[in-house]
Amino acid sequence: MTELAERPAAAAESAPASLVDLLDRLLGTGVVLAGDVTISLAGVDLVQVRLQALISTVREESAR
Amino acid sequence: MTAQATYLYAVIRPLPRGALDDLTGISGARVRTVERDGIGCVVSTVSLTEFGERELAANLNELTWLERVAREHDAVVRAAAQLTTTAPLRMATVCRDDAAALAKLAELGDRTRAVLQRLDGRIEWGVKAFAVTRPAPVPAAAGAVSGADYLRRRKQESTERQQADAAAAEQAAAVYAALADESVAGCRHRAQDRQLTGVEEPMLLNAAFLVEHSSAQRFANAVDELAARYPALRLERTGPWPPYSFASLDPS
Repeated sequence: MTELAERPAAAAESAPASLVDLLDRLLGTGVVLAGDVTISLAGVDLVQVRLQALISTVREESAR
Repeated sequence: MTAQATYLYAVIRPLPRGALDDLTGISGARVRTVERDGIGCVVSTVSLTEFGERELAANLNELTWLERVAREHDAVVRAAAQLTTTAPLRMATVCRDDAAALAKLAELGDRTRAVLQRLDGRIEWGVKAFAVTRPAPVPAAAGAVSGADYLRRRKQESTERQQADAAAAEQAAAVYAALADESVAGCRHRAQDRQLTGVEEPMLLNAAFLVEHSSAQRFANAVDELAARYPALRLERTGPWPPYSFASLDPS
C-alpha cells in the first residue's frame, strides 16, 4: 500500500494527487448522469455501487 | 469490428473547435467535445471490451486498472478545467454513442446550466486534519506498584486520552467551520482509513472547499493561520482540484 501514501504537505501542490484523494472525488462526487443512456444493464448507479463496494472492501481488509 | 461507446468526462462551457485536440483520454483515445444548446461535453470513444457491463465489473476489481482509468479521467478533466468552466462527471459514465450523450444532456437542460454557473471562476481545495500523535505516556517509575495504583493510573491515562480525542475532534470541526466561512461552499468526504493514507495519525477531517480563483491565496493563508492556532492538529492542503466535490446537479 505504500504507493497510496500521502505526500508531505509542502509538496502537495506540485505532487500528483494521491489515489485515495482522487477516488474520494471521482467515485463519491460529480455530476451523475444515470438513466437509460448508460450501456450497462442497471446504469451508472450500479457501477457506483460496485466501486463503493470495492473501496469499502479495501478499507475493511486494510483495517484488519 | 469492436463495439464502441462514448465515455463522458465533464460538462463544460463550450470551447472553440479543436481546443482539446492534443489531448488523449482513456486508453489513449482522442478526446473530443460535443455540444448542444450552449452546453458542451468532453468525451472520447471507448471499447465495450473494456467498458461493457461484464468487462467493466471485472476491471473495477483490478486496482491497477482502476488507478489508470481514474488518472486518465482526471488528466482530461484538469485539461478542460484549465480552459473553461468544467463540471466533472462521475467516473465511468458511459453512453451508447455521442447522440445518446447529447440527448441526456439536453434532458438535464437548465440544471447543467445552473451547475456551470455555480462553478464559474471557482476551484476546489482539499483540507485534511490529522490528530497529532501524542507522545507515549511516561513509563512508571521503577519499583513495585500496587495493583490498585496500576489500575488507577491506567484509568487516568484512558480518561486523558479520551479528553484529548474529544478536544481534537472539536478543533477539527472548528477548522471546517472557519474554512466554510472563507469559501463559497464546503463539503466533507468520509475520513480515510490510515491504511489507505499510509499516515499513522488518525484523520479527523477530510473536507473540500469551493473557492474563488481570486481568493486562492487568502484561503491558503486561512489554512496556515488555523494550523498555527490548533497545534493538536496537522492540516494538509491539497489542490487546486477541478471542482469535483461541487459538481452536483442537486446542490444541498
